[in-house]
Amino acid sequence: MNRPLKGFDTQTFFQALADPTRLRIINLLGDEEVCVCDLATALGTHNPGVSRHLAYLRKAGLVSARRSGTWMHYRLTEPANLHARVILASLRAWLGQDESMVEERATLSRICAAAALEADCASPNGTAPSPPRP
Amino acid sequence: MNTLFHELESVNPNMKESGKSTSDTLERLFSALSDRTRLRLLNLMAESEICVCFFVEVLDIPQPKISRHLAYLRSCGLVATRREGKWVHYRLVQPEDPRAARVFTEVLAWLTDETQMKHDRKRLATLCCATLVPLGLREAPRPTVKRVREESDPVPDHAVVTAL
Repeated sequence: MNRPLKGFDTQTFFQALADPTRLRIINLLGDEEVCVCDLATALGTHNPGVSRHLAYLRKAGLVSARRSGTWMHYRLTEPANLHARVILASLRAWLGQDESMVEERATLSRICAAAALEADCASPNGTAPSPPRP
Repeated sequence: MNTLFHELESVNPNMKESGKSTSDTLERLFSALSDRTRLRLLNLMAESEICVCFFVEVLDIPQPKISRHLAYLRSCGLVATRREGKWVHYRLVQPEDPRAARVFTEVLAWLTDETQMKHDRKRLATLCCATLVPLGLREAPRPTVKRVREESDPVPDHAVVTAL
């Protein structure tokens, strides 16, 4: 019998990582806080789809969210479990070696820079979220 | 054979290009790890190769389901098989790619920390060392696993002798 476990769940963690869009989101978030609208533009998809994936990552303890006006901003968080932290760090390093992933981060940087100019995603203190540095 | 670790070659610039992206490779690796039964199977193989019938007994899951999960792990290149007469033994395969190997090693370390996984290992060790085993395991070759000692276990006599 497969009993559900208390605490940080291994299966949920790996399920969160077993999806190409979620892997792209992890790569795009990097060390920055990013607006969901910028993520959607960089991924070439719609907000609801991205939000669903982000909710999945949040449930797995991989991202945290902050509301700013209309938009939600997301960032990667350190998983509660030590082994999960090591695996996530290895995964991020791995993604950082992939050409298409690096290119996507550069695209997101441009999108965030353009958004900052238009101040569409401005945070309460008047500054736009910092663009991720690939 | 189109295994995960042959595909992993595609993301290592020093190895042969096979056209698979990093995302495909990672998705496949994490999909293999996304199922509790598969994690429990990997955990049981951590110490030695194991015959299918022991998986069935320890996990109390029907053999067709066990075999399906083992086939999935095998297709991803995470396990390999060895046939010995009518018995099929399964064992872990360490990834050649150092990044995959690092993830895999960490996964196995993680599993040893979990209560359910500890329980499974203990159950396997008990079955392997038992004088009387269930009917289905009477003729099966026993895996060579270490006995998992609990803190509550009495210290064995020979350990005391050695200590003296």
